Amino acid sequence: MRLILFFLLLTTFLLSKESCLNCHQDTTSIDSYHDVKIFGCASCHGGDKKAKTKQKAHKNMVLNPSRLEHAEIFCAKCHKDIINRVKNSLMNTQSAILDVLKYQFKESEKIVKSNGIKDLINKPKAEQSLAEDHFSKLCAACHINQKEDSFKTLQKRGGGCANCHRVSNTKIVKKDLKPKIIHSKFSTKIPSKTCLKCHNRSNRIGLSYFGKFESEGYGTPFKDAKLNNKLDKSRFFYKLPADIHHTKANLDCIDCHTQTGVMGDKKIALHMEDALDISCKDCHKAKFKNSKDYPLSSLLSALNGNIPNFDTIAITHKKNTPLYNVTNENNQTFIYRKKDGKKFKITQISNKAYHTQEFHKRLDCSACHSKWIPSCYGCHEVYFKNSKQYDWIKHKYTKGAWMELRSYLRYESPTLSIGYNKKIMPSAPGCQVLMNIYDENNFSKPFNSFAYAAWSPHTISKESRECIDCHFNPKTLGLGDGILKYENTKFKFYPFFDSNKSGLDINFAIDSLIDINGTQYQSFSRDNARGFNKKEILKILNAYKCIICHRDYDDKIYKNFNESKKLFYNKKTKCSKELLK
Amino acid sequence: MKKLILLLPLTLFANECIKCHQDKLQKCKNSNHYTLKNAINTIFKTFNFDTNYTLQNLPEPKNYKNLKNLVTDMIRRKCMRCHLKSPLINKSNNLCLSCHNTHSNKLDAKNAKATQKKCLNCHNGEFIGTDFLGLFPKDYDKAYRAPITKDGTFKKPFLNSYYHNLSSDIHFKKGFSCISCHNGKNWEKANCTSCHKKISKNNHPSYHKNISCNACHSAWMVNSYQLHLLRDDTKNYAQWKRLTKQFDPYLEKFLLKALKNKNIEPKMPDYITNELKEGIWYMGWKFKRWENFILVKKYNGKIYLAKPQFQYFLTYKDKNKTLVFNNLNELNGSKLEAFLPKAPHTVAKKAKECEMCHENRIIFKKAINSNLLNAKTLKSRFLNDSELKKMQSSEYKKIRAKMLFN
Repeated sequence: MRLILFFLLLTTFLLSKESCLNCHQDTTSIDSYHDVKIFGCASCHGGDKKAKTKQKAHKNMVLNPSRLEHAEIFCAKCHKDIINRVKNSLMNTQSAILDVLKYQFKESEKIVKSNGIKDLINKPKAEQSLAEDHFSKLCAACHINQKEDSFKTLQKRGGGCANCHRVSNTKIVKKDLKPKIIHSKFSTKIPSKTCLKCHNRSNRIGLSYFGKFESEGYGTPFKDAKLNNKLDKSRFFYKLPADIHHTKANLDCIDCHTQTGVMGDKKIALHMEDALDISCKDCHKAKFKNSKDYPLSSLLSALNGNIPNFDTIAITHKKNTPLYNVTNENNQTFIYRKKDGKKFKITQISNKAYHTQEFHKRLDCSACHSKWIPSCYGCHEVYFKNSKQYDWIKHKYTKGAWMELRSYLRYESPTLSIGYNKKIMPSAPGCQVLMNIYDENNFSKPFNSFAYAAWSPHTISKESRECIDCHFNPKTLGLGDGILKYENTKFKFYPFFDSNKSGLDINFAIDSLIDINGTQYQSFSRDNARGFNKKEILKILNAYKCIICHRDYDDKIYKNFNESKKLFYNKKTKCSKELLK
Repeated sequence: MKKLILLLPLTLFANECIKCHQDKLQKCKNSNHYTLKNAINTIFKTFNFDTNYTLQNLPEPKNYKNLKNLVTDMIRRKCMRCHLKSPLINKSNNLCLSCHNTHSNKLDAKNAKATQKKCLNCHNGEFIGTDFLGLFPKDYDKAYRAPITKDGTFKKPFLNSYYHNLSSDIHFKKGFSCISCHNGKNWEKANCTSCHKKISKNNHPSYHKNISCNACHSAWMVNSYQLHLLRDDTKNYAQWKRLTKQFDPYLEKFLLKALKNKNIEPKMPDYITNELKEGIWYMGWKFKRWENFILVKKYNGKIYLAKPQFQYFLTYKDKNKTLVFNNLNELNGSKLEAFLPKAPHTVAKKAKECEMCHENRIIFKKAINSNLLNAKTLKSRFLNDSELKKMQSSEYKKIRAKMLFN
């Protein structure tokens, strides 16, 4: 069926030779699937393909048909499904950012699904809220349909499909009446540096994965008498251990993140994690299927060109989409790297005690295997109501300018909390907003809004955290930095940070998500997310009493922990006789 | 008549003080405060130079091609902002007034007592002093000036810098000041036991007898890792736009001017002669932390907390844009990073919990930043393997488990 269609198309195009090529001879193709000799120019770029003059020919032509408003017309002739999905994806609407921001700025009591950017395009500035203006000025630069020519000093973003898929730029070789065009190349082999154009702020996953921590801004070392380790004009980094998937296999973002997860699945996601498709177990506890039942798989492998069309492929647990680069050979799981087809063996999650204990079944993989998490404390938002700043939606300078200040940075001992999936996950401040507004002669501090967020920081290491790093570490528990003490049969905590004296106008330490009684000082934007409660804190800390001596999962007390506990409290073990009164 | 002369206020010259306090002046001149012997020679020691200089006989180098001369220049123009005759500390010509106030007669001698405010003029920032008040120096970048106060301005900088407020020393909370302990008798060597004569045996078991009080009782400390210093004799100012505040009031004023007019000659004072000299000294850190700490064994056999003080990375670019030294951090296989045993003045009523030392991830080289221990120690040594093993011995575990099941 497909073949017939293809030939039909082919003959149609060949029969109606375009006048475009009279001038643009030897124009190269965008990729091998869209050969210019077959498709011509006008099927993608529009214009009048029969015209004899340049002016007529170029009338209504579009330079970048991959901008979504054009793609709906041109690309959608063949790729209707994907264009619709992308249009509704978070990378286009950014609604997840805007909706959380409104909640965090106390403009909505709960998160309400919006259309993101689309809602703001025609909304007059005067009617826009604080969160909407903040979003327009500081967040909206990064969406895939951003106007590329808006970027003068910053790295270019936007351009629709081209934002991600364009891997080389168009070059005009001969600038005369018959210019030769070397067309930009499009590919599904998207290099990670493309993703990093945007994914280097907020939770900084794109930096952490490569072992970069956005630093305090010293620009040290001063090698060659310069400030070094720059991320951009005023941001710097220092190196920390990178994610094992990077250090061991140099995997790119796209080796894990599937097209469904990234480009959307028709549904409009409320949060990023709803759009996300991939999870650790998709590779490390792979579910294999026959690729014949997943036609997308062979198509993607053909598009890639480096990955063979496997009979057996893994599919994601969450959305049942094919991972065409993960396969099973002789009962071993392998991943083929998309950029070059290099093959790596994947270790499957072992059945060792540390993965099977009932008491740890709520732990997300990232809770134990994340080495560090970038944590930025205190987000001091400063709003100058009467100044002007570039508005990335209106594409001009509009009233209201924002500046962001900080308290301090940390990266060690990821705090744990209950995440959006009800699992225990690493978390960090996200964001701790202290609002400051300058309005002519008036200054006000209308609200503080302190929140934490849980996410997988992409700093995975083979070794997990040690028992003690969670079971007797106040920072991990969410109490913050300070002294955790056991006094008169009770656990107590004395924090170091004095928010009041530091001028923060809050009655808890800035790094205290909770107190020792489970009081929740800071909120989450997700329904299920929270810090540990009193019962959980006591459970975690009481376990430490055993962990002091029984530090190894191979220890026999963990063979049947409930039984061991019973024996202990019935004074039937050696240590219980010594320890229990 | 005699009475009348005594009542006349003393003028601001040291010789006025000498009239009555001849002995004190002599004592002062032998003191570390006057000679700064310790500070100067410890810095040289970090660079592997065994010296015996004082502020008074520190040479004034003419060229900076050799390291010792450059380090000397750094000390004169960066470190020696603080000495008894420094105009930043004491604008008068009277040496005594760096620490003391004036008094007019015998009856108001009390007024002349050294005050905490004067001590803090030098003892601040990364050093022990401001930590007593619970102050932790903030990072230099402009973004860290936050928070904005209720009237819409930034909090006024304290001693040329911005600080976070952490828990302050219990003695400060109870109203003591520096000179409550560091008084005339015990000036340089105040110690806890001179007041705390009786300590309970229950909380201070014999296995901890070699541990200094501060190792357990100091809650936190100022750990500023890796001090990067750059002397730049060229007019390269633009890159410091966000980093004008470097604890140095002259540099701040200079940079604010130079960022507007880039033709200003790069000059900075020599704080001993007070002459402007060629080249600007800039500084920056790797990072600062209050929660980290490590333990070392001092040569007297006691376990102390150790501070990264200081860990040098030195660069010098001369007028001809030649990099005479480029990120120098090692000399003959010896690091220029050092840890120094210290007693942070952040004493809390509640001592640290056992785990903070016995499970300390930095000491046991399990932390991400444990490579920071690739440094040397001064006046002490890192804990050795057998000592570390002892900290995690089954005896420790038993005792600790008993405490937790109590």
